[in-house]
Amino acid sequence: MHTLTIDGKEIRVKENTTILEAAKQAGIEIPHYCYHPGLSIAGNCRICLVEIEGVPKLQISCYTLVSDGIKVHTQSERVRKARQAVLEFLLINHPLDCPVCDQAGECYLQIYYMKYGQYNSAFLEDKVKKHKAIPIGPTIMLDSERCILCGRCVRFCDEISKTSELGIFNRGDRSEIFLSPGQELNNRYSGNVADICPVGALTDRDFRFKCRVWYLKETPSICPGCSMGCNISIHYNLDRAYKASGKRVMRLKPRFNEEVNKWWLCDEGRYGYKFIDENRIERPYIQKQGAREPISWDDIMMEAAKILKSYSPESIGVIASPQCTNEDNFVLKRLFSEYLGISKIDYRVPSKLAQSGDDFLIRADKNPNSTGCKELGLLPSIAGLNVENMLKEVEEKKIRVLYLINHDLVKHMGKEAVNRALDSLDFLIVQGSNVNETTEFADLLLPAATYAEKNGTFINESKRVQKINRAFEPLGESLPDWKIFLKLAEEMGIALEYRNEEEIFADIAKEFELFEGLSYSFVGDEGVNLI
Amino acid sequence: MSEKVEFSEEAKKKLEGLLALYGRVRREQTVLPVLNLAQEEFGFISQEVEEYVARLLELPVVKIHNAVTFYTMYHKKEVGKYHLQVCRNLPCALCGCTEIIMHLCKRLGIKVGETTPDKKFTLTTVECLGACDTGPNIRINDVYHRKLTKEGVDEILDELE
Amino acid sequence: MRSSMSWSDLMEQEEFKVLTKDINIEGYAGIDVYFYSGGYRALRKALREMTPDGIIEEVKKSNLRGLGGAGFPTGVKWTFLPKETDKAKYLAVNVDEGEPGTFKDRYLLLNSPHLFLEGIIITCFALDIHTAYIYVRGEYVKPTQFLEKAIEEAYKEGILGKNIYGKGFDLDMILYKGAGAYICGEETAMLESLEGKKGWPRLKPPFPALKGLFDCPTLVNNVETLCFIPTIINMGGEQFANMGKGTSGGTRLFSLSGHVKRPGLYELPLGIPLRTIIYEYGGGIKNDYQLKAIIPGGSSSPVLSADEVDVNMDFDSIARIGSMLGSGAVIVMDEYTCMVEALLILIRFYAHESCGQCSPCREGCGWLEKILTRIVKGEGREQDADNLLRIADNIMGNTICPLGDAAALPVKSFVTKFRHEFEYYIREKRCKIENRHPLILL
Repeated sequence: MHTLTIDGKEIRVKENTTILEAAKQAGIEIPHYCYHPGLSIAGNCRICLVEIEGVPKLQISCYTLVSDGIKVHTQSERVRKARQAVLEFLLINHPLDCPVCDQAGECYLQIYYMKYGQYNSAFLEDKVKKHKAIPIGPTIMLDSERCILCGRCVRFCDEISKTSELGIFNRGDRSEIFLSPGQELNNRYSGNVADICPVGALTDRDFRFKCRVWYLKETPSICPGCSMGCNISIHYNLDRAYKASGKRVMRLKPRFNEEVNKWWLCDEGRYGYKFIDENRIERPYIQKQGAREPISWDDIMMEAAKILKSYSPESIGVIASPQCTNEDNFVLKRLFSEYLGISKIDYRVPSKLAQSGDDFLIRADKNPNSTGCKELGLLPSIAGLNVENMLKEVEEKKIRVLYLINHDLVKHMGKEAVNRALDSLDFLIVQGSNVNETTEFADLLLPAATYAEKNGTFINESKRVQKINRAFEPLGESLPDWKIFLKLAEEMGIALEYRNEEEIFADIAKEFELFEGLSYSFVGDEGVNLI
Repeated sequence: MSEKVEFSEEAKKKLEGLLALYGRVRREQTVLPVLNLAQEEFGFISQEVEEYVARLLELPVVKIHNAVTFYTMYHKKEVGKYHLQVCRNLPCALCGCTEIIMHLCKRLGIKVGETTPDKKFTLTTVECLGACDTGPNIRINDVYHRKLTKEGVDEILDELE
Repeated sequence: MRSSMSWSDLMEQEEFKVLTKDINIEGYAGIDVYFYSGGYRALRKALREMTPDGIIEEVKKSNLRGLGGAGFPTGVKWTFLPKETDKAKYLAVNVDEGEPGTFKDRYLLLNSPHLFLEGIIITCFALDIHTAYIYVRGEYVKPTQFLEKAIEEAYKEGILGKNIYGKGFDLDMILYKGAGAYICGEETAMLESLEGKKGWPRLKPPFPALKGLFDCPTLVNNVETLCFIPTIINMGGEQFANMGKGTSGGTRLFSLSGHVKRPGLYELPLGIPLRTIIYEYGGGIKNDYQLKAIIPGGSSSPVLSADEVDVNMDFDSIARIGSMLGSGAVIVMDEYTCMVEALLILIRFYAHESCGQCSPCREGCGWLEKILTRIVKGEGREQDADNLLRIADNIMGNTICPLGDAAALPVKSFVTKFRHEFEYYIREKRCKIENRHPLILL
């Protein structure tokens, strides 16, 4: 351990701590551009210069290690002057793009200028011209004039995605970050470079011109794209419905989690939010004489209850969803298994789609809560009656009613297989958030909320339980899955009640040893590993 | 350039020597020597040549492109048969290099940075060549010509076919 | 001894020509003539009669300083290399001579490549180094060929390779050609280039002595510095030190250029007055014009005005008046030199050569060039002179490597010492000097 004094504050840090990290621990912010805790140290922006007593030249705090007893000043006149000098140098060739630049409001040239700059510009020359508004890949737009050459993006492509599409070419003030000749920025993590770019040089094409960031609200959640469970932040806009045609979610950003995804998010997850606002099932529908008609919740619950009551438990199959939360699934289990005595419940739909993972953040299982389903026991109690066999029994007319929650059987099993099954089926009840190729076959269609519209928990592949949070109300008349089950229970005269997801989770904690002692506050925003 | 880029047999032999000499500790060390060879062979380094060298050395293209855009001696475009590089730094300037540059521009009918239409001469100005006591200096391809005068320059150019 | 001799005695007797004593003998670049003139005697002495530590001691005693520009005491630099290490140790010789005004290293390669090799081999023996890389700038084609030939000859004679002079010492020498970048004269940028990358200087610490080429301990030395090693071995460190002045031992090659009658290379003792170099050896100002300004140690050294010409040319004396000995390149400017245009030429050079890695140098050098260009075009503004000084101050000390400082120092010295010329140019939109030398084409 070393002791150092920084701005008069004495603190102790571990060995091999840089002054910047030490300052952070002491609650002192030192401005920086090229430094990023997830990447190697470059030391080229020079804005993190600090004064160390006894050392003649200012030193960069992102790289200089603390040695025992040093006294550091981050606010001295010399440091202020150097910081302002570096800021001035970075701004002299920077284009006056703020009015049209997406980064405004979260731009570190703006932020540091307001904090440490505020000088009168003395630059009277012509600015250096470089590439402007070049799409360098499907997800990212490059504006080299705005670039401050911190090199974070280059280091990301070298060290994290390991694809080396970007480089810094030429020399001097003609230096430019650009694509390697003949290449495109199209690795599966390309979106991250727009996150780490401190300025508007690399911006997200998907977010381009959509919404000014100061209109955005944030809610922490978990990406539902695969079983990795990367931590995300949902950025949405509710107040200005004229933006993005009234869609609420503007973008997703990764949220730092040391144990799961650190600072990163894959592109599939990052751009996979459109379903929250598009192609939604916004109200209940019933299929009557070949036509689909809207229907009220009360009425559709009546119909559903009627169907479920008129068939024996052995002739009902429930295909649960690993897209649903533990709370949804727990209520499902209580309703269908405990109260209605249905044993043919499974969540594992076999897929003929080629779905791949990698050794970084992408997993082949494209569901966020398979582990949750397993731990909660959503498996058929009669051995061997998985979804495939359920469909066989449908064809054999042993199962007459299928209750399908949040799945697209057609996408995973093919139209032929599904058609064959459905021909023999009496009733197909579908509960889901989005229209898909399977929902068109539903006799009863129940609108469910997406993960952004409810609270709950997912368990990722490493058995980590993590919380999702409701950002906004469910669209239209849709309801969280657990609420739909409760409504159904009520209609069927079953005394099953919960006021909110937290109460459900408390019951889960009581019933399952693995969840013993857990609560929402304990899980928190970072999640907890179940052993 | 639709022909496939490839080293001649002779160059390939040289390449083997370079790989053996410079590739033993880290393969990346071979980048500059192989680019030097490529420029000798192809006259200039086009994108196809960069990709070819990258394949040969089994390195990502970006590492090749880094070097090509950083170092001034790698030509990214075709140059004339004779590359006239006149030093423009201070000691040579003090000895009158501007006169020589203007004279060359006039004689060849081109501006600094351009190539004559018959592709015989490319005229560029360069920084210190390390022959400051004999300025003005010019480097024509690999050869230094020193203590230049307008007449001297004319003589030298007259002799170049 | 020298201390009792006057400068004129010393010059007359020319006893100080230790490096270039035999350099004019025909064929000296070849190994046969080199042997015949006493070459490789120092190497034999070092290998057969001395210990590695003994050699290092002599070099320390000699007060030999780094002659590439930094002037660091060579013997001390040698001690930074770890004695015990399980990594390979390297010598990387810097022949990326690019400092404007300097041409000594080219000369040494063309005329005494074997002296150079001898210096390298002795150095490697003293430091237990078995692989030496020589990084030569790409433009030096002929000097490289001469060096290649000398290396071939040395291998043939068993002076390189395995078991040199039967003393069980192996040394391999590998030549590496640069491709046009002044920044590769900076030691860590040179190492980056030597590793096949672009010449971006590294953050220090760690210093090359601990982590240099391929992360191994590496000694970086300039050509001229190593050429003095055989001399030091032959005459002993103390005697070499006494030839110089103060902490600057021995002699060095001064590259004299610009407005002098006899530009060229002069081997002279350290501490010699600058006036002597210019007037006695250089023959005085061309056309007998008035001396106006001198750049004493390569373009990165602060310019001296004519009334500072009596400074002694050793590292300490010239540092005391605020300049640097640097690479020993003396650029002389007469009264018809426009200092504004001369500065623009230098800053244009630095802006062209800046690697672009760190923001103060990258943006600052470009900005300085733009302001000076504007002034020279007749579009100067009142605040330009002060702004130039302010920008130079903002660059100094805030960069990764000394190139930023190398651009800032000329700006500060030119604008301070010749302020009136800058103000005149800005105000009157032309140079103050009638009939000035045409220095720049815009």
